[in-house]
Amino acid sequence: MEEEEKMEIAKGPQLQISLLESEANTVPRLFWRRVKEWRDQTAMRKKEYGLWKDISWRTYGEKAKYTGLGLIELGLEKGDRVAIISENNPEWLYSDMGILAVGGVSVGIYPTDSPNQVEYVVKHSGAKFYIAEDEEQLDKILEVRENLPNLKKIIIMDMEGLRHFSDPMCMSFDDLLALGIQLDERDPALFKKRLQEPQPDDLAILIYTSGTTGPPKGAMISHRNILSVMEMQNEVYQGYQTDEILSFLPLCHIAQRTVSTFNPLIAGYRVNFVEELDTIPENMREVSPTVFFAVPRIWEKFYSALVLTMIDSTRLEKLAYKWATGIGQKCSDYRLNGSEPPFHLRVLFKLADWIVLRNLKKVIGLDRARYCLSGAAPISPELLKFYHGLGVDIGEVYGQTENCGPTSIHYENDVKFGTVGTPLPAAQIRIAEDGEILLKGPHIFMGYFNDPEKTRETIVDGWLHTGDVGRIDEDGHLIVTDRKKDIIITAGGKNITPSEIENQLKFSPYINDAVVIGDGRKYLTALIMIDDENVMKHAQDNRIPFTTYASLTKAPEINKLIEKEVDKVNKKFARVETIKKFRLIDIQLTTDDDEITPTMKLKRKFVNEKFKEVIESMY
Amino acid sequence: MSLLKVRNIETYYGPIMAIKGISFDVQEGAIVTILGANGAGKTTILKTISGVMDPEKGTIEFMDQRIEGMPPDRVVRMGISQVPEGREVFHDLTVKENLMMGAYVRKDRAGIQKDLQMVYDYFPILGERTAQYAGDMSGGEQQMIVIARALMARPKLMLLDEPSLGLSPRLVKEIYEIIVRINKEQKTTLLLVEQNAPMALSVASHGFVLELGRIVMDDTCEELLANEDVKEFYLGIKEESVRGSRRWKRKKKWR
Repeated sequence: MEEEEKMEIAKGPQLQISLLESEANTVPRLFWRRVKEWRDQTAMRKKEYGLWKDISWRTYGEKAKYTGLGLIELGLEKGDRVAIISENNPEWLYSDMGILAVGGVSVGIYPTDSPNQVEYVVKHSGAKFYIAEDEEQLDKILEVRENLPNLKKIIIMDMEGLRHFSDPMCMSFDDLLALGIQLDERDPALFKKRLQEPQPDDLAILIYTSGTTGPPKGAMISHRNILSVMEMQNEVYQGYQTDEILSFLPLCHIAQRTVSTFNPLIAGYRVNFVEELDTIPENMREVSPTVFFAVPRIWEKFYSALVLTMIDSTRLEKLAYKWATGIGQKCSDYRLNGSEPPFHLRVLFKLADWIVLRNLKKVIGLDRARYCLSGAAPISPELLKFYHGLGVDIGEVYGQTENCGPTSIHYENDVKFGTVGTPLPAAQIRIAEDGEILLKGPHIFMGYFNDPEKTRETIVDGWLHTGDVGRIDEDGHLIVTDRKKDIIITAGGKNITPSEIENQLKFSPYINDAVVIGDGRKYLTALIMIDDENVMKHAQDNRIPFTTYASLTKAPEINKLIEKEVDKVNKKFARVETIKKFRLIDIQLTTDDDEITPTMKLKRKFVNEKFKEVIESMY
Repeated sequence: MSLLKVRNIETYYGPIMAIKGISFDVQEGAIVTILGANGAGKTTILKTISGVMDPEKGTIEFMDQRIEGMPPDRVVRMGISQVPEGREVFHDLTVKENLMMGAYVRKDRAGIQKDLQMVYDYFPILGERTAQYAGDMSGGEQQMIVIARALMARPKLMLLDEPSLGLSPRLVKEIYEIIVRINKEQKTTLLLVEQNAPMALSVASHGFVLELGRIVMDDTCEELLANEDVKEFYLGIKEESVRGSRRWKRKKKWR
């Protein structure tokens, strides 16, 4: 507390964004350069009928070009917004690049959004076109299109089930490409001309923030922002054309967008699309990505999978596991302290890796991973420690949509648990008087679409106000404590940062997520969402009868189980910070529900609202 | 009172876990139904209760006695009869011989005669054709034979596996009327597995929905009939989309 003034600003290394000086100074121009350079190399892969099929940069370029030209034929003008709503697939990327290439602005929508949410984004962005994955996404827009005067055309990627459907406003993606081909034949110079039109400071994409508070806001990201962030990141961890990534987090989120769409333009790595969300574990094993970015929830899932594998293993396997992770742990301790482990330990680690760890990593498909990141939400240090022990050195990355993804990151050999690393090259971090984290750099966004007031509040004197509070530690690492408005002030006047406690709770294999409550109250309580898979398994192993999910959450034995987990966490905190009572959420929340973000995080505000009575019952 | 108590059973086909931990109760005198798609594990549950399959884990109590892992004939003697799916009659035996096979474990001749008369009352057509080979009977009649055969063991609990399978709507109705009568008049408790969800929910008082080896809903049939997910996925009642027909299915929530 006394050392608060220690360091209030942290600067990343100097970096001149060279792309901006080159002729490829916008996203589409860089894209087109890559299409020419890397023609026959693989840009992405998609699984079809059980086989991974390669898609070359040439095909990527052609499809993007015809998508863009097709949209021009339909009346797209420079700066027009085009909405894309789809799970991750090649068409998403063709559309994205096609739109940008002809001067449009692409707007991703979460495929799990309800028709009303879709209406909000399409209306707010004033999108002229709506590119839908399939029948389901089509139905959403048809339901609300009367309220969308700007909408001109709906384009559908997958026409399955729609053969007999005709509507003057709708067309298939193939027909759009055909329009593009025709236009190209009539006017072969047009595409090149349009490609040159966007300028570095023009709006490139709109990202609607999923927002755990209020309605989504449209963050305006320029070409300069995107190119800058790509280079800043590539300075820290260089990507190669031999790298493989797996694309499964929603593309409308800034993190996955940079990973799947923009970063390949600088690093050239190959994007592999998962078949569906249920097949992530299989696809992980098949692709075995070398570069892997995931949200904490995914890292937690993998961890649970490994823990469960170990529970079911033989005694010998358990011993081997303990031995190997022990060595891994020791090695990682050395490295985390900035020194190389001694020779004998390195030899032992090789052995442990060969016999045990490699196989464990294979189970989750991380045996080739050389560069792993966690971001978009806080991750528990214990979890990171576990992975480092396996030899999977996950770094944390911190940032937000408003700064086009990352601002601080764990540099290689400078991972410090409990922090989110140091600033990227060309980025600056400052802590304001009230503890708010402020960011600066070429990657700070242009502002919120059609909301100058919010923009003024958010960017003051070039500093982005993140709404997060935190501090910079003695090594220059940033520590994020919480969202400014989430800080709980108890009736006793004590300030408490709920996310620290929540992250500890989430580390339990039996807890998926939790919301800590206590603002203006005498003590803290929590609503807990159990991990259904693991808790069901526990119930089975211990013969705890239950029928449905709801009855599982009501079983006294399960409540005892969670109580134990809560007690464990309570021991780590001061008295005022302990959870006095908790309740289990007795319905299985899905992404269709308002209480959860598409990335499966509980939304504090909605949860507090929906479970008001349950919360009151604890006080 | 719970006649049957199933607790945490897990049943495997080789390496595949078909029943992933199921617990439920069947009250005495009730008709209880288990709904579920193909491969959900409905039949496996019945087979596990009747002893045709043994659970890897868990317990089954029938009238306060543990029966899991018992050989099927002992389970039958205890008062549980299964009516298998697909009308498995003995083709080369006559109707009467088939029915007598149901009473195989019984010794009381007088009682057997009385019960034979009782099943002929429920299924008059069987009474008219006692000497005909079962294999020569129609599908509906064969279904009647298997139900009647199960009744001949004088069960306290009858496990019915898709009695409506492959029968005309009129026959289904007829057979269900008889099933309900048996439940009322003989006080036989019924555990009914069905694909024909509307029919099953109309006769039963309580139901479970089974998905991939787990129970996802457990409620009275009245509540189940009103549930959005049951309506869409089991009763085929869909809200229409703006376009008219809707082919995609929304996510199941089971709440």
